[in-house]
Amino acid sequence: MKKAAFRNLRLCTKDCLCLYVCPTGATDTEDSIIDVSKCIGCGDCAAACPSGAISMLSTELPPQQKKAENVISYARKLTKNKADEEQIASAISGMVINDGMYRLMTALAKSARLVNEDIMRESGYMLPQSKNTKELLEDLLNDPPAAGFPVDAAKELLRLIKFNE
Amino acid sequence: MKYICTICGYIYDEAKEGRTFKGLPDSWVCPVCGAAKNAFKADENSKPLSGAEASGAAAEAGSDLEADKKNTDNAFSETMAHAGNGAEEEFDEDMKKLSAGELAALCSNLARGCEKQYMAREAALFKEIADYFSTTAPAVPETDIEHLAALFKKDLESGYPELFNEADSALDRGTKRICVWGEKVTNIQSTLLARWEREGDAFLKNAEVWVCSVCGFIYVGNTPPEICPVCKVPSWKFDKIERRYPA
Repeated sequence: MKKAAFRNLRLCTKDCLCLYVCPTGATDTEDSIIDVSKCIGCGDCAAACPSGAISMLSTELPPQQKKAENVISYARKLTKNKADEEQIASAISGMVINDGMYRLMTALAKSARLVNEDIMRESGYMLPQSKNTKELLEDLLNDPPAAGFPVDAAKELLRLIKFNE
Repeated sequence: MKYICTICGYIYDEAKEGRTFKGLPDSWVCPVCGAAKNAFKADENSKPLSGAEASGAAAEAGSDLEADKKNTDNAFSETMAHAGNGAEEEFDEDMKKLSAGELAALCSNLARGCEKQYMAREAALFKEIADYFSTTAPAVPETDIEHLAALFKKDLESGYPELFNEADSALDRGTKRICVWGEKVTNIQSTLLARWEREGDAFLKNAEVWVCSVCGFIYVGNTPPEICPVCKVPSWKFDKIERRYPA
């Protein structure tokens, strides 16, 4: 499987040893993101980095894991509730005067969204490159939910993403 | 006797604290993660506090917890029986159709996925679609605290146990993982709401509210915990909720 180097900017301490060892100059970029088109996957930079900030990752993403239908059905029950919880908390935070209540409700809305995103990720939408994502975007384009739906955003996504299934 | 927090693993050791667990007020919360008293379970391997009165109290507390657990177990198996019988009728086509609120979460999840792969433009586009669904979602009819508390309760009593059970039989490790985290986070959400109803804003006045940007765990205190008690990421992954009227 073809691999390429990726830098974790949180860990990078700018020792720049990767610049010395890279045979193609792929690590020499102004924004510190390693140039995948130049990287030959040799791994020299990852081995030289004193901060352990570079990992060799596969350039091919795995296909979306198949999910059991009943798992999805039970996940839907939770995602429906979580969406309502977020909406209620967000509506209350928009109405209240009390600062403590406002912050608690804002936190609850944010938290409900994060939990919901996790369930969505595990119910067939892990990767933006998956067939499920592609079909979702196509469905939204073919049958937009309302007149104001951002059709151009969906079209651009279908054009930009390199789907892998 | 020792009591263990089922959310973060903190141990309340009666011998060290010099006070029985049972003797703590109902408003007492876990000093590490803020979980309520009823989120603690008795450590079966630990010895009761010495002294007749203290040990009596501890034993009583232990049996209370046992009774609670039995009730929960019964509720759990009833739910399971129900789920087993009616699974087919329960999920009609309407159920499978995603609501605007769900689509918002689905698309913001994909935006995060793009961000992780340094796909900034794609992330912005998914965020645009997510925001569209957030703003156009039809209002929930009952926007009050009681209704919110009831939804949390439903998730904890049936939502998570049902999904975990189903994921377990399907050997779906990923779904089991998000059940463990999500259930703990929902427990804390529910506890915070109950605290608000009991104490008003007293516990929030001189404290900040923090949300773990990875799992959604909510922490009330001046600084975020060193590591998230639920998903174990470092403190810099926590976001502070800004005050409504900055000083």
